[in-house]
Amino acid sequence: MRTRKLLSLLLSCLLIASVMPIFGAGAREADPEIVLTWPCIWVGQDSKADMIEKIVNEFNEEHAGEIRVIIEPQPDYDGYEDTIRTRLAAGQAPDIFTFKLSPTTAAYYSGDLLMDFTDDLTQDGWGYTFNQGNINASTIDGETKSLPYEIGFTPIWYNTELFAKAGIDEFPRTMDEFWVAADKLKAIGVVPTSQMTGGTNSWTSMLWFTHLLGSFGGPEVWERAWDDPAYEQAAAILKRLYSDGNTTRDAIGADAGVSGGHYQAGRTAMFINGAWYIGNIRENSPEAYAATKLAPLPQAGDYYGHQVGWLHTNLGAANTDDPARREAVITFLKHLTDPENAKRVSLDAGSLLSIEFDLGPEDEIDPLQQQFIDAGNQAEFLIDHLEASMPVDVVYEFGQAIGAMVLEDRSPAEFVQMLEAVHD
Amino acid sequence: MKKLTKKTNRNLKWIIIFLIPVTVLLIAFFVYPIVYLAFLGFMEWDGISAMSFVGISNYTRTFGDSVFQTSIKNNLIWALSAAFLQIPLALVIALILAREPRGWRFLRTVYFLPNVISLVALAMLWRAMYNPEFGAVNFFLSQLGLEHMTRNWLGELDTALPAVIFSYQVYIGYFMVIILAGTMSIPKTFYEAAMIDGANILQQERYITLPAIRGIIVTAGTLAVAFALRQFETTFLMTAGGPANRTPVMGLYMYRRMAGLRYGQAAATGVLLILLGVVVLSGMQRIFGKSDAIEDAHQ
Amino acid sequence: MNRDTMTETSLPVQVLGKFLKWLVLSLYLVITIFPIVWLALSAFKTNFEIETAPFSFPAVWQFQNFVSAISVSGLHQYFLNSIIVAVFATLVNLLVTSLASFTIAREEFPFRKVFFTVTTAGVLIPIIAFMVPYYTLITRFNLYDSLLALIVTYSAINIPISMFLISSFMTSIPRELEDSAEIDGCSFFQRYAKIIMPLARPGLVTAGTFSFIYCWNEFIYALLLTSSRSARTVQLAIRFFTSQFRTDYAGMYAAIVLTMIPTVVVYVFLHDKIISGLTAGAVKG
Repeated sequence: MRTRKLLSLLLSCLLIASVMPIFGAGAREADPEIVLTWPCIWVGQDSKADMIEKIVNEFNEEHAGEIRVIIEPQPDYDGYEDTIRTRLAAGQAPDIFTFKLSPTTAAYYSGDLLMDFTDDLTQDGWGYTFNQGNINASTIDGETKSLPYEIGFTPIWYNTELFAKAGIDEFPRTMDEFWVAADKLKAIGVVPTSQMTGGTNSWTSMLWFTHLLGSFGGPEVWERAWDDPAYEQAAAILKRLYSDGNTTRDAIGADAGVSGGHYQAGRTAMFINGAWYIGNIRENSPEAYAATKLAPLPQAGDYYGHQVGWLHTNLGAANTDDPARREAVITFLKHLTDPENAKRVSLDAGSLLSIEFDLGPEDEIDPLQQQFIDAGNQAEFLIDHLEASMPVDVVYEFGQAIGAMVLEDRSPAEFVQMLEAVHD
Repeated sequence: MKKLTKKTNRNLKWIIIFLIPVTVLLIAFFVYPIVYLAFLGFMEWDGISAMSFVGISNYTRTFGDSVFQTSIKNNLIWALSAAFLQIPLALVIALILAREPRGWRFLRTVYFLPNVISLVALAMLWRAMYNPEFGAVNFFLSQLGLEHMTRNWLGELDTALPAVIFSYQVYIGYFMVIILAGTMSIPKTFYEAAMIDGANILQQERYITLPAIRGIIVTAGTLAVAFALRQFETTFLMTAGGPANRTPVMGLYMYRRMAGLRYGQAAATGVLLILLGVVVLSGMQRIFGKSDAIEDAHQ
Repeated sequence: MNRDTMTETSLPVQVLGKFLKWLVLSLYLVITIFPIVWLALSAFKTNFEIETAPFSFPAVWQFQNFVSAISVSGLHQYFLNSIIVAVFATLVNLLVTSLASFTIAREEFPFRKVFFTVTTAGVLIPIIAFMVPYYTLITRFNLYDSLLALIVTYSAINIPISMFLISSFMTSIPRELEDSAEIDGCSFFQRYAKIIMPLARPGLVTAGTFSFIYCWNEFIYALLLTSSRSARTVQLAIRFFTSQFRTDYAGMYAAIVLTMIPTVVVYVFLHDKIISGLTAGAVKG
């Protein structure tokens, strides 16, 4: 009886072993059609998912029989980054993919895994459809091996209803006014700011810090070394934001869900995030959504009126010796970055893109997104987010350094030293 | 011994046949990757450009990093807690359930269920539990009039590590199942004889059950310690190593180096993790004796 | 026969013992049942409720979370894949490791220790360290984006744990049973199939349960080694709710609840049946 069981087990294993090749990645050579796969993070509930799928489908219809782009759904951003990194390390770049260009991922440009777009961008004025600053940011040693696509833009959000309740008429213009406003908010039981050190990048607090850095150090602050006083000055204010009840009790260790949740629930009056958060807050908390206005950071140093705005998604492609395949990739990327398609993505998803397009009066736009556009137009200058300016090691250390500064009562100078120590 | 050798020769053909599948899979999925890690540990590599040989500098660099030193310390705390808190808890519960009290089947199932839930969901639950603004832990404490004990469990220097370890190791399902399966295989006649001799329950457990399942307990302990050493998902999801670098573990340190495109250093960390594990496990064997699985190999 | 019945301990000690026993059991019941209840309740809440009041009851029961769990992620399409992967990876794993464990636990041969060294190292390393070698391996053998890639990888990843468990149980089987069988003329294979395998069933079931749960919950290699719907598993569907800038907890929890059901069923029925069959069977007498 036992033997029979065992035999059936062995047999069934043999059976799958023989059936399995059906599931394997079949031969593709015979196909005249060029198939490009795109492991894509913009799937599922991502705000860009629907429009990207539509644009890809239109492209596939237009080029039926010649080129076909297949979206490989890649949910979970951390997992996606792990996957891209691994595939590149194994020497097999995906046909098309996206990544965050930072001093760490700039390593992707070395070697010849990535397709070089430098010459293509000069032809037919393709390069001029992009924001030139973003093109420059995507060019390393004269080579543009990825295309700028999506921009992050993150002004301060504040809840006008809570401000009015606390008797504050206008968003503070200076840091002194800011602290007065903070006290008034605390007096009515509202926590002034949402902060967080959790997640991989302490998102909201890192944005506060970058805003502060812009005010103390101006537009070129990232080009200066850690001993520039701006870093320490910004850290000192960050420390104060974490003390005296200026943020929630759970800020150390909080993740993006928690810090955003506090703002949506009206527990905190100020918060920082990008336009991608609009859909979320509109759906979850119509009151907070309706009460939200955007502002630049109160003046802390010499500079005022700037915003944090940076290139956060680049499009890359696998290098290939096959000219037809290369042509197919370029054709698709031209389609994707076509100003008309960029506009559709931007309006549909509330994202800001590196591709410049004109808005007509007929284009419907969310009021809060309109505020984003206005804030962008009014910005004196833009400063890159820390995440885009520093290696991954510094980005990780940032939340730890806040923890040390607040919990171990380290000085702002020591905070800067901690970041400098992991930066080489 | 002589008899054994003779037998072995006769069975050599069968031994080879029985070992081929496992050998092939182990070589492909463990030997090759570990050799690859050992090799990469001496290289500097960002995953893209050419590798360059850097000697032991990945190791010296790793050892010199205070975050790595904290990680070793934390890993040892994790391992100790697995051996001296998690396994005893699993043992007590398994021994109680093995005596088949009322509803034991139901209890056994429910006790195991948290191990079926994905780590992501469990981490979300415990992050919410520990949250000082709306968490359940502080709520219960203040209901009990222990207001002064409420805190930001995951965000304070001295509570974060114990809080993370607790949230993971309180679920003993795996080890309970192992020990229970071992206990259930003890012939019932042993107990009947003991009862006739007038042994009470504790004596029965002490003189019959424990000696009979000693090897199984050590196996469960070995796995618990190994899991405690290699885990990093829970730490990553709960605190990401914070606050102020108080909770990192070696697995997280390695993952971070991979994300920072320091593949050489990540590989060196992996090698060190294996070495630390071997040291800890052989230390355990010294104290508790060998598990049945390991026992024969060392005779 | 309940073992409790025939003890000669004095009454107060017995009462105290009973009290302690039920205290431990009920406290631990609370700790283990809490996550299940919490997860199930959260799956009926809105995101806003989950983020701001995680321990409240849902104000309005959001049944549509389950509808969106399926419609957003296409969850149902992945169930069959997950079942195929988990079942076959577990079977392959058990077959391979039981053959090996039997040999290692019962025979002497050269290089025997090497197997222990490799499995010990294998159980110690976070498996994520092997992303690059595994990806290279799977693409070299042209298995990328197939269920077979996951079956082979998962059955291999679980070898160290299964080896530990199964050989541990096999070693504890008295040798006399085999010796007498050998005198009766049992071959090597018959000893494995007829004597040891049935007796090692608790070890096999335990290892099989662990393997199944691992395969069911594994995420990062499923993401790395597959790309199309035809080869993906339910864990990827769950992650459809965590995009770059937001996580839809409500949808995710609903999806998690749905995906947990098969593992619970496997555990309750399979594990319970096999173990209790054993308890009632010959060994316990």
